[in-house]
Amino acid sequence: MKTHDTIPVTTSVVQSDMDVSMGKNEGDLPGDFAIWIFIFAEMLAFGVLFVAYAFSRAKNVELFNVSQLTLSRTSGAINTLVLITSSYFVVRGVAAIKRGFSTQCAYWLTGAFLLGGVFVSIKLVEFNAKFDAGITMSTNDFYMFYLSLTFFHFMHVLMGMVILACIIVKARHGGYSAQDHAGVETGASFWHMVDFLWIILFPLVYIIR
Amino acid sequence: MQNSQLQSNLFSTIIWLLLFVLTVTTFSIGEAGISGKAAMLALLAITMIKSQVVANYFMGLRKTRLLWRGIMLGYFLIVGGLIALAYMMALK
Repeated sequence: MKTHDTIPVTTSVVQSDMDVSMGKNEGDLPGDFAIWIFIFAEMLAFGVLFVAYAFSRAKNVELFNVSQLTLSRTSGAINTLVLITSSYFVVRGVAAIKRGFSTQCAYWLTGAFLLGGVFVSIKLVEFNAKFDAGITMSTNDFYMFYLSLTFFHFMHVLMGMVILACIIVKARHGGYSAQDHAGVETGASFWHMVDFLWIILFPLVYIIR
Repeated sequence: MQNSQLQSNLFSTIIWLLLFVLTVTTFSIGEAGISGKAAMLALLAITMIKSQVVANYFMGLRKTRLLWRGIMLGYFLIVGGLIALAYMMALK
């Protein structure tokens, strides 16, 4: 198989110098700054929903506790492990491209992409079970929050998978290097945000009572 | 493979294992059906550790300015604090 690995970069000093040469200074956010505006905006939107969920629950604890018991904690926990592992794969992918290993980077990101697919599949099964049971957003306040929060997050996972797919294709064609990998870091930051938000969503909606 | 690369990979693997263990802990508390103030605060504390570990070590914010790390920590303290407040209100 043809590879696109460039000459590996071995020292952090050289790496640091290269970051500066690409317009990056020590202490800057990884990737494109624009993605961070988006990430902070998304975190704010989810944060408002998380808090709204908690205060709505305070008004009707019994309803929320009873409804919460109908959720599959196992599915939620497996999906958390899946996302954490996919984030770890993305970290390894970024580490690989920082050393100029483009093909290795593509492999790690493909692993993350596939785990994203596992997350989506489990979530679809979960949604399907709820819809089969006749549960909709108008069933009660708990399900309104559960469905809107998890579906909103689900859409972000899909968006993250599209971003990862674009990066994988470019990486496989040698589009990134040790000197130029801001695109990989940008996509990685988005994927980690998806993980970060699920880490809060899972205990809040599935566990804490 | 360079030593620094091995160390970096080993470190990220340890971080992943930590997140894995904390997730299993969260799940176990849920499965045990433990509820109440102490359980809620413990679960939020675990969630805060996980979220900050992801922000600092996976997103790479530990190498950035204090401002960015502060935003991520502040986010969790505000959101997590309000969640805790709402749950405390429900316990009364």
